[in-house]
Amino acid sequence: MAKKTTRVPEAGGWPDAVAVPALIAGAVLTTVGFLMAFLWAAPVNGAALSAPELVGDVMVTHQQLISQKIFYFHMPVAIVSFVALAFGAYYGIRFLMTREQRFDTCSRVAMEIALLFVVLTMITGDLWTRFEWGVWWTWEPRLTTYLILMLIAIAYFVLRNAVDDPERRATYAGVVSVIALVDVPVCFMITRLIPSSIHPVVAREGGMSPDMAATVFVVLAGMMLVGYGLYRLRFREARLGERLQALKDMLE
Amino acid sequence: MNPILADIYSTVIPSAPYLIAAYALVWAALLVYVIIVVRGLKKTEAQMAVLEEAVRAKGGD
Repeated sequence: MAKKTTRVPEAGGWPDAVAVPALIAGAVLTTVGFLMAFLWAAPVNGAALSAPELVGDVMVTHQQLISQKIFYFHMPVAIVSFVALAFGAYYGIRFLMTREQRFDTCSRVAMEIALLFVVLTMITGDLWTRFEWGVWWTWEPRLTTYLILMLIAIAYFVLRNAVDDPERRATYAGVVSVIALVDVPVCFMITRLIPSSIHPVVAREGGMSPDMAATVFVVLAGMMLVGYGLYRLRFREARLGERLQALKDMLE
Repeated sequence: MNPILADIYSTVIPSAPYLIAAYALVWAALLVYVIIVVRGLKKTEAQMAVLEEAVRAKGGD
């Protein structure tokens, strides 16, 4: 019986050909989403005013929570971080199953993109927290589980740098990428599992209005494209570096 | 200032620095990452070209 061959991802071809257009499309969509957030999506109402006031041609009856507009970048960036972590774990598992180093490269690049988006989620979330809650940090369940996720992603790269043997390094890294993925549903569900959590939950607060949903969708599509473009560019660089090293080793 | 307008602006003006920082940091971080990756890619491609040249020269000897 013929031995089943494992198809390994490689740089080049159409996935790389569309990487730069995807990045450009992502930049355009996030810019459109940014404009929609400020020029189209209605601001969220805060406390009621003591009396209505005419501002421009709009009768304002509540305080306007402009800081909520951070949400239009915060949530899509968080979702992209989860997707990147899922890919990191998927390729980590593929490596553990096949021992093919290429999957480790894919996993490393996906985890790098994930760490970038995790850090951006933390920063955008923290800026909102500072204004709305008056503190830079609080041990709230969502924040705490997401901090753990960020620490796991950082630990992934610390571990990689600490192990010299490529086989062992990739094995440990594969396991850590799966551990990071395990924290994703915990992060996502924690506000539902612990109802006392003060982190805003869209579904709990009546869902999104069509203008909010459309804005989130546009930014999410843009961020997904940016994430994909970054992954392919970084993967191409990593593969070229590996091929260069292999050639140097052959010549020596 | 009209106290009602002051009440409206109390949640708008002070939040502006945080809002601007959040959007600017996301774009800036992504842009910096793109620049780092593209520079790395160009550097590796240049090294590859040098290596190919060296191999060709060695083959010609």
